[in-house]
Amino acid sequence: MSLLVTAVVGSYAMPAWLERAKNEYLLRRLTRHDLEEMHDAAVKAAIKDQEVAGLDVISDGELRRDNMIDYFVEKLPGVEVDHGSKKFYYDFYDAVVRGRMPTAPLGLVADFRFLRRFTDRRTKISITGPHSLVKRIRNEGYPGEEALAIDIARIMNLELRELVKAGATDIQIDEPYYSGFPEDLPWGVRAVNALVEGVNARVGLHICYGNRYGKPSWEGSYRYLFPAILEANVDVLTLEFARRGEADVALFREFNPTFELGLGVIDVKSHEVEAPSVVAERIRQALKTVPADRLSVNPDCGLMHLPRDVAFAKLASMVEGTVAVRRELGAA
Amino acid sequence: MILHVNHLAPGLAARASETLATLLALVEQGDTDPRHLAGLRVHLDWVQYRANFRDPVMLRRATDSEGRPLTLAEIAVDLRQTTAGEASEGLRRALASLGGEAGEVDGRLYLEGWAPLRDALLWRFNRLFWQRLADWEQASGRGFEQALPSGRSDANHPDAVRDAVADFWTLLREIDKRGQLPAEVFALELGVGTGVRAARWLDEFQALDEERGTGYYSRLRFLLGDYSMPVLERAAALLERHRDLVSVLGMDALNPLKALAFLRYRVLYVHLTNVYDNLPVDELVRRDGRLHLVEVRGYLPRAAAERIAAELGLDVAALPPLIERLLEAGPEAVGDRERGVAFWRAVWDALRLEERLRGLAGVADVPLPAGIHASHLEDLLAVAPDDVRFHLSRGALESFVNTLPLLHPRGYLQVQDIFVTSMDEYRQGFRGPGKLDGSVVNWVNGPLLHAAAARAGYDVHFAPFRYRAGSRTSILYTTPRD
Repeated sequence: MSLLVTAVVGSYAMPAWLERAKNEYLLRRLTRHDLEEMHDAAVKAAIKDQEVAGLDVISDGELRRDNMIDYFVEKLPGVEVDHGSKKFYYDFYDAVVRGRMPTAPLGLVADFRFLRRFTDRRTKISITGPHSLVKRIRNEGYPGEEALAIDIARIMNLELRELVKAGATDIQIDEPYYSGFPEDLPWGVRAVNALVEGVNARVGLHICYGNRYGKPSWEGSYRYLFPAILEANVDVLTLEFARRGEADVALFREFNPTFELGLGVIDVKSHEVEAPSVVAERIRQALKTVPADRLSVNPDCGLMHLPRDVAFAKLASMVEGTVAVRRELGAA
Repeated sequence: MILHVNHLAPGLAARASETLATLLALVEQGDTDPRHLAGLRVHLDWVQYRANFRDPVMLRRATDSEGRPLTLAEIAVDLRQTTAGEASEGLRRALASLGGEAGEVDGRLYLEGWAPLRDALLWRFNRLFWQRLADWEQASGRGFEQALPSGRSDANHPDAVRDAVADFWTLLREIDKRGQLPAEVFALELGVGTGVRAARWLDEFQALDEERGTGYYSRLRFLLGDYSMPVLERAAALLERHRDLVSVLGMDALNPLKALAFLRYRVLYVHLTNVYDNLPVDELVRRDGRLHLVEVRGYLPRAAAERIAAELGLDVAALPPLIERLLEAGPEAVGDRERGVAFWRAVWDALRLEERLRGLAGVADVPLPAGIHASHLEDLLAVAPDDVRFHLSRGALESFVNTLPLLHPRGYLQVQDIFVTSMDEYRQGFRGPGKLDGSVVNWVNGPLLHAAAARAGYDVHFAPFRYRAGSRTSILYTTPRD
């Protein structure tokens, strides 16, 4: 594996035409079949863009998803979704769970196989973690949030195992809601550990301060993660630094975790494209704390809110800056 | 011919009836070619602003997107300022002109060529007003707030300020309880007016904080932003006792983010009063399913121009370049300051706008304001009346979308202004442009702000200003979209 591996966090720029199509589908003016064809086309384009930008690890851009929550609550067995509760695709459905959830496949394997069919590069598939899902599902069936999260983890764990059987090597869990509810972190980590138990893949955990509508949902310091996060059985912790500054990288020196750092070097909330030299400098600064073999490079969060040309330029710049540092390390 | 009675103010039925009778009589007399009647629309308006840019009777022609004349034409009558004689003469001239060439009208001294409203000369007058406010006020003998229709600004209402402070304190308390209150609490007043509101707000906040012993006042960083340095200086003088936490910043209301980029996602409270209604707009008109952009050209009625020129001992032809110098360099460019201000006031008083409707091939040709996509406009038009004339509040939207990124995740924007809150309201009256002493006023298109806000992750809400009976002010406030 090369040094300073580059990847998106998960999502790629959502085309305006696809947004309109998703809204049309909600209004029953477009069939599911036609929407799926559009999804396929958009995913293929996103894959190609990432390849051309030079990324080492490719995702499907998460373009099939309305948002990070609904894609999963619609698939989770036993979660009742009110399909009339939203008119704009990006809004959240009202979702409720009223009893113990049964076990059923979630359909992520099909997404992964589609991705594999259109790229030869290493791939990554991202899922929303149990803590974040619990925050968006009304719980009328479990004694508490942790109990619901653990059961969601049980069901999703089976799906992750199926993904690995299908060839998935890199899986990322997104848990941005930790930052809004830091008091939940101990049970949030237990849920993640239940989720990844027996999953034989490189597991990343992405925690940011939110990217809803392309703006942060919370502010603060990653200090709240420590030391509880050290208990997480993951290989990579992917964090945002480009927008917030790099001060919190020092936490990796202070706590010396066993996992690697996925360094956010691209501000996904700004349309200004970072110069490769800026990216390179951000990596160099992080290398003062984290060795190169324990560092990977990514944007702060998903790129879905950026125009495609901006997202592509940012990724290309990220790769160019990373390659420059690799050269300095003699690893290019 | 289609008759639109857009708003019939109490007591004006007889005048409307008389106007209509006059119009029909003129048609019967053969003052117009019957072929033109099919495309004619007559609008009876009640223009809210007593001072405005319209003649009592106005003819609007329409062209397609290439400038070729269309059969559509509109005669607009302002019932408020029309007398029987004026209506008759104005209607006669309008009807007689229906089939004529769309050239210059006799009796008018034109100051500019056709342009969308956003680019019209009147905005330069507006800018001059705020840059040279003291000169204008000295000449008028009253402050600009006294020149408002209500004679005062709702911005300064003590109860409204007190409630705003209490709401803000409550927010800080909630954030503090979660241990997430930043060390520095930023608040921004954008468009500072006289500074009375800011001073009152700070006094109230300090008092509340001391009463409750929360120590938030010392963490407060209060920013005053305005593009007029004279206005800022005057406002800052009122805040002397809070000087340790107040910063005065010259900035363009259209893009606060540019001056305050270092505060992105850090400002907990942004407040504006009567800023959006004073920023450039366009107007769109839909007739028979087709969209038109309103284009205008400014002129002085010949009689007024002759009077103004005579005051200065000039020929009328010398006025346009002199007005240009006034707008470039201020009243001194005309001679001494006092004469210059008098000239400025006289020109502003006489300034009128001719209007025409330029056809647009479709929504894709609409000059969309910042934050608005064609699909937003389509959604808006889908719920709007079929025949509608409405503002594209481009200045307000630009300011709005360039302010939202300043907000802390828990922060909010509060705007006191005159808002149209549904597209239906546009059919019920003329919403500007009007004249407020030396400045321009337009109602602000709330549904457009709503669409732009949703895209940026916010909901906007409009609350009536309940602190003064009869106030037309609403309070817009944002909440983060879930």
